[in-house]
Amino acid sequence: MLRYQENNELHRDFHGTTDTTLNYIAEHFGEEALKEILRKTGRDVYKSIREKLARGDASELVEHLNWFFFREQGKYRLTVDGDTITFEVMECPAIRHLRKLGLEPSPYVCLQTSEVNAGMCESTPWESEVEVLGDGRCVQTFRRKAVGK
Amino acid sequence: MIPSDHFVRFYNEVFKFLDARNALEPYYKEISRHQELHCLELFRREGLAGLRKYYEKIRIEENCGMELESLPDRIILRMTCCPSLSKVLDSDAAPCPKYCDHCGGWGIPLYIKCGIYYVGNMISRTEPRCEIVYTESREVARQVYRDILDAGYSPDLIQSDLDDWEEIEKNRVERA
Repeated sequence: MLRYQENNELHRDFHGTTDTTLNYIAEHFGEEALKEILRKTGRDVYKSIREKLARGDASELVEHLNWFFFREQGKYRLTVDGDTITFEVMECPAIRHLRKLGLEPSPYVCLQTSEVNAGMCESTPWESEVEVLGDGRCVQTFRRKAVGK
Repeated sequence: MIPSDHFVRFYNEVFKFLDARNALEPYYKEISRHQELHCLELFRREGLAGLRKYYEKIRIEENCGMELESLPDRIILRMTCCPSLSKVLDSDAAPCPKYCDHCGGWGIPLYIKCGIYYVGNMISRTEPRCEIVYTESREVARQVYRDILDAGYSPDLIQSDLDDWEEIEKNRVERA
């Protein structure tokens, strides 16, 4: 069950504010500072997902990915195969909306995904990886680490 | 992707980072410049009527508990359930104590450019409600400010652009 139950109207323009913020923090405080904020967002805001992952339960993570990309009408394929979750994004709703607003996506737009995902997995037996394919496409992978890693 | 539903919880993390470095104000100005994309032309062209149009849209998209009252010389926005602070309070991450300050923080530079006075009463930084008056009259804005003080609210809870009245007057005349 999702910790944050969102099911009403969407304000997609927040993607523009996120994009502006990514650029601002990176330009004024450096990329490491931006990573710190994003990772903390993943770790603390998504504490519920992280704590379940720590117990070996990926159900909220899967529901989170599916629900919020569905809500924003992203094009994606979500596959759960044993201890590997593969989330293929064919059209990122954030990048699509930025282009609709006439904004150039930040060079850090995909960093938000990789660092937030890493924050969700922090101190858990899971690890994440994002392969950016370009033009709003990526493959996000969550994998349970091999014992001893 | 941080879902647009969760943006404000990310925003809250950004505020905490910047507040620890005493660096909120320049960031608000950057957000204000970004918001010009959505508001500047509309507010300059239509004044308070344009402002009302924008907040009617926000009321729906952000799922606000919001009352908008239009009077001949002002618009009163009563936020009865602020979705932004509500989400930040309903989060597993701690809220930034200055979370509410961002509203006037990005808004005021934009309203000044559009010749609009802004007087906002946060009421409380831990309750998702506030009251904001927008007007093109300096006298109205000053009276609203005095009324909030007379009602016993701390100046720390009031945001306004009254100190920039010369710039507001100039921009209002140019707009007209």
